[in-house]
Amino acid sequence: MNKKNFFLEHKQFTIFFILALVIVGIAVFAPWIAPKDPLEAVMTDSLKAPCAEYPLGADKLGRDLLSRVIYGTRTSLVYTLILVATIFVVGTVLGIIAGYFGGWIDQIIMRIADMMISFPGMILAIAIAGMLGASLRNGVIAITAVSWTKYARLARSMVLKVKRNLYVEAAVVNGTSTAKILWRHILPNMLTTMTVTAAADMGTMMLELASLSFLGFGAVAPTPEWGLMLNEGRTYMAKAPWLMIAPGIAIVIVVIVFNMLGDSVRDILDPRQEN
Amino acid sequence: MKFRNFKKLAAAAVGAAVLAAGAAVSAAGTMTIGVTSFADTLEPTEQYFSWVISRYGVGQGLTKFDENGNMVPCLATEWSNSEDGKTWTFTIREGVKFSNGNDMTPELVKASLERTFEMSNRVPEFFDIASVEVDGQNLVFNLNRANANMAGCLADPLFLIMDTSIDNSNIAMAGPVCTGPYAFQSFDPAGDTVIVRNEYYWDGEVPNDSVTLRIIGDQTTRSMALQSGEIDVAYNLKTENVFEFDGNDAYTIQSLESLRSTYAFMNQNGALGDLALRQALLRGLDKETYTSILLEGGATPGKAPVPPTLDYGYDELNDENSYDPEGAKQVLADAGYVDNDGDGYVETPDGQSLELVFVYYDSRAELGVYAQAAQASLKEIGINIKLDCVSYETLLDRRDSGQYDLLIWNVLVANTGDPENYLRENWYSTSANNTAGYANADVDAWLDELAATMDTDARKELIVKIQQAIMDDAATVFFGYENTFLISKSSVEGLVMYPMDYYWVTSDMKMAE
Repeated sequence: MNKKNFFLEHKQFTIFFILALVIVGIAVFAPWIAPKDPLEAVMTDSLKAPCAEYPLGADKLGRDLLSRVIYGTRTSLVYTLILVATIFVVGTVLGIIAGYFGGWIDQIIMRIADMMISFPGMILAIAIAGMLGASLRNGVIAITAVSWTKYARLARSMVLKVKRNLYVEAAVVNGTSTAKILWRHILPNMLTTMTVTAAADMGTMMLELASLSFLGFGAVAPTPEWGLMLNEGRTYMAKAPWLMIAPGIAIVIVVIVFNMLGDSVRDILDPRQEN
Repeated sequence: MKFRNFKKLAAAAVGAAVLAAGAAVSAAGTMTIGVTSFADTLEPTEQYFSWVISRYGVGQGLTKFDENGNMVPCLATEWSNSEDGKTWTFTIREGVKFSNGNDMTPELVKASLERTFEMSNRVPEFFDIASVEVDGQNLVFNLNRANANMAGCLADPLFLIMDTSIDNSNIAMAGPVCTGPYAFQSFDPAGDTVIVRNEYYWDGEVPNDSVTLRIIGDQTTRSMALQSGEIDVAYNLKTENVFEFDGNDAYTIQSLESLRSTYAFMNQNGALGDLALRQALLRGLDKETYTSILLEGGATPGKAPVPPTLDYGYDELNDENSYDPEGAKQVLADAGYVDNDGDGYVETPDGQSLELVFVYYDSRAELGVYAQAAQASLKEIGINIKLDCVSYETLLDRRDSGQYDLLIWNVLVANTGDPENYLRENWYSTSANNTAGYANADVDAWLDELAATMDTDARKELIVKIQQAIMDDAATVFFGYENTFLISKSSVEGLVMYPMDYYWVTSDMKMAE
């Protein structure tokens, strides 16, 4: 009863939540949905236009684009989730440490954060990914390295706010261990805001990963990844535009869905929005 | 039908880009050329950077090759050799000045060549110099090892003549002072290089005040830059670009069945030290399909070091490792390469997992096509290939340090007029380029014999034998021999494609009035 009300009350959330579930479903069930093996190259079908056999066309090596786009959902979603989770954990932990302990630890962490944001994020990410060598894992590391600062600063400012509350001081006076204070009194009070930020970041992070792959610093052939597929299709843009259209539209749809979902989550959870 | 519309849409987008990029019309006396480049610096003795200096119309050698590939005089007017091929005499052209106005004397030519002999590690594969002497207007080379093709060797851009009497401490960025129709004004390894008329040029008028060579590494971007009018000439375009210009009177398309060979070294210091694995790998590659379908006929499938465009017995060479996926699987199984862990890829006979790193570079699009196609084909027979796309500069580092299993590149086979130097550089056991660890005592002996052989038929026979040995050793993957395209605005005059593609900018090249 309650649940039903919740979903009816937040129609926008419900719609995009369902769409997101569909996308996750496509990722999870890719092997059953995809008509062909995304890696199987039938070279005689190179650059085939969309037809009955290849609903979205075939790429340079004669691989089925539809299957590659479907499997690409897997790659993009999994790595975006890993990315967001890594940034969330790294940023929040560092922010809490800096905010709670203060002093020189705070100085060191926040000055490193200042250094990282004094470079244009994407360019620094490209530099890091370039040094580490192209792979999705290194792409995740590179984007984490430039994006954790946002979470660290947010977490730190919230800790500073929460720390001044009487119940924290009471806990300190009572001799509660630092770990317990952080876990029981501080973290729960900031988790909502952090989660909302993370949810809203899903789309952006997905785009950044795809950009890195497009530039050749992320996914490596033959991985079906949308950014990489765009790059592969670029050479044949005039001749076989479907190579770029299919992964392009996939990126647009998924990013919009996750952005809107993030927005809806914020509308629901953000305490400032409540009366 | 829907997708026809998409095509139109894409065309319209390109059209809009053309309009937007707009009126970048070349002023009279200047041109802009879209190129790919691999030179970090203008130091001619480093790597193959002298090629860039020659291509940009700055550097010249004692001899050169004309548009038919025949050797003709350049900075030397004539030459002769002794019976034994150990003494070569070149008569240096009189009245030639460097672009700074200094006279090119035989002494300076000697000094320039000696600088190269001292600084480049590639010289020993060309010839073995004992001494160089100036005799009036003549330059006499005494060789330790006989060389039948010394004049052809000296046409290679490595032996371009530069003024060594000036301060060359800033040569890496300022470039050498040479004798070509143009001289360097500014150099940017990743952007625009500007060359200006050499006021002292010895061979006729130079039509342009300046020429801008714009590095556009990406093939699609280069093609679009030509369509938008940003550049007047685009080098190194491929069949997929020809489609964009075909039938359009505003552009001229030239093509040449080139003397370039695309091949991948197989590093025998790693897993590929096993002959059976190399044989299986070769048999797993369907080069016919790669060249005819994936490259749309932009290349001829390869099997031997020297392409069929040169008459070195291509048809009589026997390729025992031609495409045969079933045979490849058999070879693997016989040699103990079996997939035990069920991941679809074989392990080595001692149970290690096998992953071969295939290094390629990005400025030649066909290399990526070959690499990805090879990965897909070899997956079929169970060989796991990991692709590694790097820049050309990094590729050279990887080659020098031996960090690869397969490393593909594309080189000119007859840079000295015949394949001797090419074969020696890549397959002689002690050559600096041969980091793949290939060593065959017969090949070494035949290459030494070839260097001293003057007779044309005997040379051909030796080259055929050397090629067959390299093929039998399954030493290298010869993917194909590509056709090259040169696309320019129709208003560009005097643009010629040379089979020895180290001549790009010449004094004939200009915009129509």
